[in-house]
Amino acid sequence: MLELRRVTKSYATPQGPLRVLDGVDLSLAAGESLALMGESGSGKSTLLHLAAGLDLPDAGSIHVDGRPLADMNEAQRAALRRARLGLVFQQFHLVPSLSVADNLTLQARLAGRHDRTWCDTLLVRLGLAEMARRYPEQLSGGQQQRLAIGRALAVRPALLLADEPTGNLDESTADEVLALLLELVHDSGCALLMVTHSPRVAAPLNHCLTLAHGRLQGSTSGAP
Amino acid sequence: MTRRLLLLTAALLALALVLRPSAVTESPQGFAGLGAEAEGYAEAGPGQPLRFPDDHGPHPDYRIEWWYLTANLADEQGQPLGIQWTLFRQALAPPDASPVEPTRPWHSRQLWMAHAAVSRGERHLVEERFARGLTLPDAEARRAQAGAVAEPFAAWLDDWRLNSRVVDPAGDTFEQLEVSASGEDAGQPFGYRLTLTAEGPLVLHGEAGFSQKSADGQGSYYYSQPFWRVEGEVELDGETHRVSGRGWLDREWSSQLLGPTQQGWDWFSLHLDDGHRLMAFRLRGGGRDGDDYLSGSWIAPDGSLTPLSGDDLALIPQQTSSAAGREVPTRWRLQLPGQGLDLAVTARHPERWMETAFAYWEGEVVAVDHDSGERQGEGYLEMTGY
Amino acid sequence: MIAAAAATLLSHYRRHPGQLVMLLLGLWVASALWSGVQAINASARDSYDRSAALFDAGLDRIERRDGAPLTLDTYLALRQAGVAVSPLIEGELALAGGERVTLLGIEPLTLPAASGIQASGGPDALGDFLQPPWRTRLAADTLAALDTARHGERLLDRNRQPLPPLALDASVPPGTLVTDIGVAGALLGMPDDAISRLLIAPGDPAELPAPLVRLHAEQLADPGQLSDSFHLNLTALGLLALVVGLFIVHAALSLTLEQRLGMLRTLRALGVPGTTLVALLTAELLVLGVVGALLGIVSGVWLAGQLLPDVAASLAALYSEQVGSELALPWHYWLGGLAITLGGLFSAGATTLWRAARLDVLALGQRQRWRGGLQRQLAIMAVVGAGLWLLALGLWLWLSGQPPGERLLAGFALVAIGLLAATLWLPPLLGLLLGWAVRGLRQRPLVQWALADLQLQLPRLQLAMMALLLALATNLGVGSMVGGFRLTFLDWLDQRLVAEAYVRPPTEQFEASVAWLEARDEVIDLLPTRRADATLRAAGVAAQPVGVYGITPAPRLTQHWPLLHTEQGVLEAWQAFTEGAALINEQLAIATGLGPGDRLTLSSAEGPLETAIAAVYPDYGNPRGEVTLTTTALAERFAAPPGSLGIVLAEGSDVAALGQALDRAIDLAGASLIDQQAMKQQAQAIFERTFAITRALTVLTLAVAGLALFTSLLAQGGERRAQLAPLWALGVTRGRLAGVSLVQLSLAALATALLAIPLGIALTWGLVAVINVAAFGWRLPLHVFPSQLLLALGLALAVAWLAALIPLWRLWRSRPRELLMEFSAS
Repeated sequence: MLELRRVTKSYATPQGPLRVLDGVDLSLAAGESLALMGESGSGKSTLLHLAAGLDLPDAGSIHVDGRPLADMNEAQRAALRRARLGLVFQQFHLVPSLSVADNLTLQARLAGRHDRTWCDTLLVRLGLAEMARRYPEQLSGGQQQRLAIGRALAVRPALLLADEPTGNLDESTADEVLALLLELVHDSGCALLMVTHSPRVAAPLNHCLTLAHGRLQGSTSGAP
Repeated sequence: MTRRLLLLTAALLALALVLRPSAVTESPQGFAGLGAEAEGYAEAGPGQPLRFPDDHGPHPDYRIEWWYLTANLADEQGQPLGIQWTLFRQALAPPDASPVEPTRPWHSRQLWMAHAAVSRGERHLVEERFARGLTLPDAEARRAQAGAVAEPFAAWLDDWRLNSRVVDPAGDTFEQLEVSASGEDAGQPFGYRLTLTAEGPLVLHGEAGFSQKSADGQGSYYYSQPFWRVEGEVELDGETHRVSGRGWLDREWSSQLLGPTQQGWDWFSLHLDDGHRLMAFRLRGGGRDGDDYLSGSWIAPDGSLTPLSGDDLALIPQQTSSAAGREVPTRWRLQLPGQGLDLAVTARHPERWMETAFAYWEGEVVAVDHDSGERQGEGYLEMTGY
Repeated sequence: MIAAAAATLLSHYRRHPGQLVMLLLGLWVASALWSGVQAINASARDSYDRSAALFDAGLDRIERRDGAPLTLDTYLALRQAGVAVSPLIEGELALAGGERVTLLGIEPLTLPAASGIQASGGPDALGDFLQPPWRTRLAADTLAALDTARHGERLLDRNRQPLPPLALDASVPPGTLVTDIGVAGALLGMPDDAISRLLIAPGDPAELPAPLVRLHAEQLADPGQLSDSFHLNLTALGLLALVVGLFIVHAALSLTLEQRLGMLRTLRALGVPGTTLVALLTAELLVLGVVGALLGIVSGVWLAGQLLPDVAASLAALYSEQVGSELALPWHYWLGGLAITLGGLFSAGATTLWRAARLDVLALGQRQRWRGGLQRQLAIMAVVGAGLWLLALGLWLWLSGQPPGERLLAGFALVAIGLLAATLWLPPLLGLLLGWAVRGLRQRPLVQWALADLQLQLPRLQLAMMALLLALATNLGVGSMVGGFRLTFLDWLDQRLVAEAYVRPPTEQFEASVAWLEARDEVIDLLPTRRADATLRAAGVAAQPVGVYGITPAPRLTQHWPLLHTEQGVLEAWQAFTEGAALINEQLAIATGLGPGDRLTLSSAEGPLETAIAAVYPDYGNPRGEVTLTTTALAERFAAPPGSLGIVLAEGSDVAALGQALDRAIDLAGASLIDQQAMKQQAQAIFERTFAITRALTVLTLAVAGLALFTSLLAQGGERRAQLAPLWALGVTRGRLAGVSLVQLSLAALATALLAIPLGIALTWGLVAVINVAAFGWRLPLHVFPSQLLLALGLALAVAWLAALIPLWRLWRSRPRELLMEFSAS
């Protein structure tokens, strides 16, 4: 589902070029989940952005859904994101002037893959059915993140990319949101790559890798 | 007697500036350049006797000329009242300078300007008028909009007239005159019609009528009739007042101007109660070394005249008042040691500012003995450059 | 501490120099707008002064009752009798290139001030004007049109004799030369003592000797009050332009203060007292405001001088100063410019400084409660707007119960309140429309998102949109007002100048001229006019002086002479008129309440005349009440001298040839045949200049609105990225996002423009039907020009696109990295 080969990425800084990723290899099969850990600035988010085709690597290759990102133009990458990927961010990034229901279905509708039944199911399972006509600012933080997860899953993505999805939530809410996320991922059969700095959050996932000094370390330990 | 040379020239130039009011306050230096253009005009000089009645009429070969009448009057209740009637003439170009010989009546070589004023208490109403001189045959001179003729005497601009009332064709037409004017100041009408009767002879200032005004010989022809008995009617504020009193007429013509150093002048004409008349003036900055130039005439009741120089005369401003926003001296000390006179001369009212194209102060004064305060006479004071 | 705090506050501009530039630019344009308004008013005033002079209005004239010509003797006798008349010689002069111009010989020393032709000039000008070789005064546009007659510094007459040296004088009417009366007669070949007419100031109460008759100011075609009305309306629009300026200043200042709220919070947290911060900000704003305002005024005048030399000349004439070099403008000019900027400072500063003063140090970002806040704000705007509408309605009801000619101030207030109300309603209306559209457009997710996102931008954009609304409404208002005024003016010229040619023969030559003209084949009809004065008496009406005008009811005239109210119909009214009934003008009808069917009596020295009123006619710009009868009646019952003679010609007739033939046949003593076409063209040409400057003002107003929009768009650039990045992440390309943004803005601009159209029409209506009636007692017809409405829509789009150009280009060119920053954790 996701395949990174010898991926290298540097950023220019005032102190000279900073190599964030230095020949990273990673692969993730359908239905698998992977936690990516590491310290602040270790390149976790960069890796995620590369996987989403939001940015391009300096060297190495990335395949998503079996297709090499390097061979695609921006429009094709955007189409891929729209239809095959789901993205969840720490900051939710909801559209404040759209209702909960409209936010949830936004990506699906953009991708032309709006499945009403699935979306209604999602709303119920996310506990948002009662609030479908409300607006994001009327929701709690946990509800907003659940909505963001719903938006990502509404399109039935092959790969869900989550960047610190619980980073902005208190512990108990975080646990609840995470559990729901994993449950939905499991049911939909998509692969999950989640960036987190918390071992607690990483624990329930199939695999866990740590990014340090531009390289991946650690094992594929974790829950089955 | 040069003050009015400046006044006239300045006023006529200011006329050209009527649409630029800010320029009216220009200092005398601004128009001193005209002095250089005096060439081509006749020049005033000593040794040329005045001839009457011809000299009552205009002298178009000279650049500037005026007929200047003031009168101190009182109504039937004894309330004092003053009037002014002035006609100025200025040549636009020297007699032979024009490239085109005037043939049409509209062709103009002269500009005329007149001022009329009535003052009483704090009231001071003024109007000015302008006219072009016309090119008319001599016989038709009286038809013009403005002008003057010697015999029988008349000087006028529109319906503002100063002319002879003598009917006897053999008599001296200058013995009795009539003056009339009516005008409007800020919507307030005023006017007068007065008879002037000469109770003494004409007096010729300076050397038999040549009044030298500076050491280098410049000067003007200058004579006066200071002995008018005046009677008639004055209209003011919708009321007609029967008035009587004394008047003073100045006649002067010249082609030359003062230098640029003069800042202005102060000029007195006084009727003393003992029958004497006094004319005295001060040109500020007009003296030889930049100090003031003083001159005057002491006139006995019989008309005999004693010229006064700076040594015989002192004019000392003692107190100023605000008139139309300017500080002008309205109380003076006049000393004539030779005549044993020491006068305090005070304006009847400080608000006598003439808001004409060229603005100046012209108003009635009362003279008292400086020490005793006893009344000595009355007259007119003119001040410019304040 | 103060220095450190000030340095910190100002460091914002080091970080964002563009904002400082933008702020100063905003201040600059706003005050430049004021300069533009001044320029248009000055130019308009100049235009109608000149057109008034063209029609020789303003002064009464004196003629002999027996029609004998006036001469120098008459003039001199009147002057010596104390009547303040001034002589005038007038005639047509043929020049070397075949051009024909009007030559006026004036007597500058006696010319009354109301003549419109001033004896203007510098210190030596009067002397030069009066003496050989004299001077020929003319306007620059006249000189430009006389190129073929020009030889060096002189014009040549048809015998190639040089005219007096030229002197430019902007106050001289077009196609006219002015010289001293001493030379004009010779140039026109008139007798030595000839005078064309004697003039006297209208207010002069002088009584005339019996052989003479006084004719009130010629009203053949005097724009009079029509021009005053135009000027008044321009003033109203000028004030409006000021409001647009205030909006942009407000927008620019709000921006820089808003963006520093975080910095202010930090400074407060570090222990800087709120009062110090407010004082520092106030000082900063004042400095910026004064600098911006002075910059704007100075460069505005300079620019006006560069682009429109006419404007500079008219400003110079108006203020008697060299505008370009000295800038010695009157105090109200400077004050007005400063007032715009400081007014904007006050309104922008008041809210922001207030917030700075009571800043909550612990408050986090202020974006959480976006929706509720906006809804509340829109609700307040809607309620206040509705209150203002009610107020305007009440004021209008009250006004319509007031007598005409009164309550000008209330009329202005009504227009201003209406505009403010409409402007306040713009954001709630947009919000409503967007909310409705967002809910209805689920099938088009990108469009739905775009509209939802536009809603988000509303708080930022609303001020700029309101400025755009006002600018467009003003633009439309100016356009239809000026255009409508022009049409009215031309209609009215058509009414008064129906014949192909006019001539005003001297009275003693009148009969001969009529006989000669009637014998000509190309002459179809003659339309003589006469004028007189009389006292009007009627039941229930106080006796009052009126003008009596005599016209000839030939078909040509009756077709062009509009009637407002008749008793039975237009044809019947003209029939009654021919049989002796009277027409009265709208002013007289409104002032006296008289109407068709009422009877009136006109008393004059020749005795009373009683007749019925057949109809009421519009008489734009005439301040007097006027009764119109047949010319025959005027001749017989009022002993009125003959006036101008309209000549109806067969199609294709040569007016110039007829004029020359008439000139050869009859001694017209300087009068000549006036070509109606040429006269109308001259009248139009004068106003073209005003229209040109109107267009310039319009462009400037729109530029200001565009700049406000641009500033707002730039200002929310950062925020926009936060809105756009997630969508990009969801798989919408940057190019599409840029396109969507453009559509968003276009929609907003279009909606604004659509609202501006009725507002602009309402504004024009307010000007012509409320303010004009309040000021003058008569209405200007309301004209709406569809092409202008389309243009307004196009302009709104163009302004929006221009303003969006840079922000969109930046978005389109943005590197993914910049967008990714939005996703970096916390």
